[in-house]
Amino acid sequence: MLLEVKNLVKEFGGVLANADISLEMEQGEIVGLIGPNGAGKTTLFNCIAGYHEPTGGKVFFEGEDITSWPAHRVAKIGIARTFQSMKIMPNLTVEENAMIGAFSRTGDRWVARSEARETLELVGLAKEASAYPTELPIATQKRIELARALATKPKLLMLDEVAAGLNPLETKEIIQILQLIKKEKDLTLFLTEHVMEFIMTISERVIVMAAGRKIAEGISEEVAREDKVIEAYLGERYAKGK
Amino acid sequence: MDRIVRDIFSFGDRPFSERIGFVIFIVIVLAFPWIVESGYARAVMIKFLLFALFGLGWNLIGGYGGQVDLGQAKNVGFGAYATALMMSHWNTPFWLTIIPGMIVATAESFAVAYPMFRLRGHYFAIATLCVALAWKELFTFWDWTGGARGIELPIKPTPNFTYMEFGAIGYHYFIFGLFMMEFLFMNWFRKAKMGYELQAVRDNEDAAASLGINVTLTKVKAYCIAAALGALGGSFITVYYLYVDPDLVMPLDLSILIAMTVMVGGAGSIWGPIIGAAILIPLDMYLGAWLGGIGRYGIDFMIYALIIMIIAAREPRGIWGIIERARRRR
Amino acid sequence: MELATQLIVFGILMGLVFAFISLGLSLIFGVMNIVNFAHGEFLMVGMYVALLTSSYLPLDPLVSLPFAAAIGFLLGIVSYRFLIQHILRGPMVAQLFGTFGLMLFLRYLVMFIFGPDVHSISHGILIGKTISIGWVMLDASKVAAAGLCLLLFALVYWMINRTKLGRALRATSLDAEAARYMGIDTEKMNALAWGIGGATAGIAGVLLAHFYYITPTIGMVFIMIAFAIVALGGFGSISGAFLAGLIVGLIQVIAGQYLSELKFTFIYIAYFLAVVFRPRGLFGW
Repeated sequence: MLLEVKNLVKEFGGVLANADISLEMEQGEIVGLIGPNGAGKTTLFNCIAGYHEPTGGKVFFEGEDITSWPAHRVAKIGIARTFQSMKIMPNLTVEENAMIGAFSRTGDRWVARSEARETLELVGLAKEASAYPTELPIATQKRIELARALATKPKLLMLDEVAAGLNPLETKEIIQILQLIKKEKDLTLFLTEHVMEFIMTISERVIVMAAGRKIAEGISEEVAREDKVIEAYLGERYAKGK
Repeated sequence: MDRIVRDIFSFGDRPFSERIGFVIFIVIVLAFPWIVESGYARAVMIKFLLFALFGLGWNLIGGYGGQVDLGQAKNVGFGAYATALMMSHWNTPFWLTIIPGMIVATAESFAVAYPMFRLRGHYFAIATLCVALAWKELFTFWDWTGGARGIELPIKPTPNFTYMEFGAIGYHYFIFGLFMMEFLFMNWFRKAKMGYELQAVRDNEDAAASLGINVTLTKVKAYCIAAALGALGGSFITVYYLYVDPDLVMPLDLSILIAMTVMVGGAGSIWGPIIGAAILIPLDMYLGAWLGGIGRYGIDFMIYALIIMIIAAREPRGIWGIIERARRRR
Repeated sequence: MELATQLIVFGILMGLVFAFISLGLSLIFGVMNIVNFAHGEFLMVGMYVALLTSSYLPLDPLVSLPFAAAIGFLLGIVSYRFLIQHILRGPMVAQLFGTFGLMLFLRYLVMFIFGPDVHSISHGILIGKTISIGWVMLDASKVAAAGLCLLLFALVYWMINRTKLGRALRATSLDAEAARYMGIDTEKMNALAWGIGGATAGIAGVLLAHFYYITPTIGMVFIMIAFAIVALGGFGSISGAFLAGLIVGLIQVIAGQYLSELKFTFIYIAYFLAVVFRPRGLFGW
């Protein structure tokens, strides 16, 4: 069992963002997390990755209790994440951005640089190594975040709305890159997404959240047809009307 | 090991024009006392190197770290007073006095850093002001530090390598030596893991944490190192002026000057402190002194303040930022 | 007992003045999230207006109140239009050293024009007179200053909370973008905040000139007091600034009595403790 979340609760001053969420993930899976806006997906991510402290429940990674761990510690044991809003380092070059990730595993900057170069190669950014991220388009910047996260040599890669703002062509490219890196680096992927086609294409299994709770789980096509899921997205009328 | 040595001395990642420029700069500074005879010009050069030295230390926390620290003067004071006290009470040779100064600065910084780094931006800057001002008041209040009158050091026949007392030429090479030491240290630092992690924290704390960086610890480390470097400069001041008092080594204006000098020159770049000091010190020492002589004070700082405001509005990355922007356009 | 009452009353009087001083700072911060490091220098300019009035004109310095207010208002607006407007969109670091530059500029401008000497006002209706209430002896200038500050504080408070203009200001401070959608000219609101900040500082300066030394570098003293008050009261909270002002006034006076060389250290410690342990101010919201 790679990742196990047990009865996670997160409250923000009266607002219940995550209520009693439980899930499991094995090494090598690709799991999607979907749900309408405000369902609590990013909150769940933040709780697992150490940016929020859960109000209740537990998180286990490879058997170890990481519930109260801060973000940098979580990163060190093998969970990497990307962010919904671009969090690249604008004053460092693309290569240096990736090096920061590599530095989590080594103290030697030459090793860090070669590791960074390798991940840049993998996501197709080798040519942009000396450019500054702000000079590049959004789709390319997303790949910088990917390369950077990869450089930390994670076992689990959590991607928060990685396809947000991408056109269909760019989305396809990202899917290809993700499939490639998953294979090359033997990763487990946990993605949240709004864009349905994206999630359905890439995930083997899908978890659905709405209003802070988990409402469905299963193989992508089956889950998409469940009443509860349609209701959560489109409202009661559509579900009934079907 | 030899890789570290190479990192200290190499500027391979900087373009040729910068490397040549720096070599020319070194040559000029080395030859300066032999070319220029004016006592005043020599003093200006020494003060320039001193502020470049202060700037290097501040640049670590303020430039590479992105935390605007407006209290560096307290560290200067710690170093200056450590040297002054040890030399005047126990006749300690200079080089032994710099260690306690740096230790005190580092320890005090470590103690205040954790609570202070809970703050961001303006609140943090004001907190650093408060800490520095409080220390200055304390040093003025205490008797054992000499109070407002400070400490005077005996004049010894020069040159004296135990107590580092020289004529102007000696001090020139002394401060230049310290400057080069710190400069090479910064050259190593910006390429080392610590330097990169610090910049990552400056640019985006959340992302840095997601990459395994302990954000607070990184900031604290940088703050403490900058403190130690500031103390080193303070020790120099003591043997240069042979006198310390709170208004000389710990005033608020000194903190502000150090910070602003680096910001104008270009915080976060290796050349920023040098450029900033190269503008401010001659401005102050020539224009300011001339006008002060005829009873008109303040115009040098008015000009300086105008430069600061223009840079804040147009290119917050300072003069070096302007140069880099122009370069990238080409 | 007598000393205690004396100190407390004195502390409250000074507190009222300090609260009014920090009003401008709090307002500017509330409306656009900028800390005006030059606020102390606005005060200092007000002090010089009073000095000039009493030195060159045979008029009581109090007469200069409206002039100081006008000059302060103009200074605020000009600062906004020529500098602040341009750094608002920049990184916080730029905002910080932008207002720092303004502070230095004003300070050394005054020094250039008037010289670095220290002055004080020697004649005026309030100078050198004392009022006694019961066994408490107070400087007339301080009583008048405190009274006026209380009045003006209430006036500004009323304006912010009860007038349409004040509502527009509050809207801008809560959410500038939303305010714009509502048709509020946020640029004007920003400039107005600076104008009011400058005006209150100018007025405060005239009052302070009655019992503080007047010199170009005096601004630094007041800005630190203002920071402590705004921090204790909660950055952006006007009513918080009032109560915090009283507290800081009391601290200053009591510390001044027993440990006068360190009386500012207590202020610095107060700021530090306030922001680290109660970032929302003592009256936290």
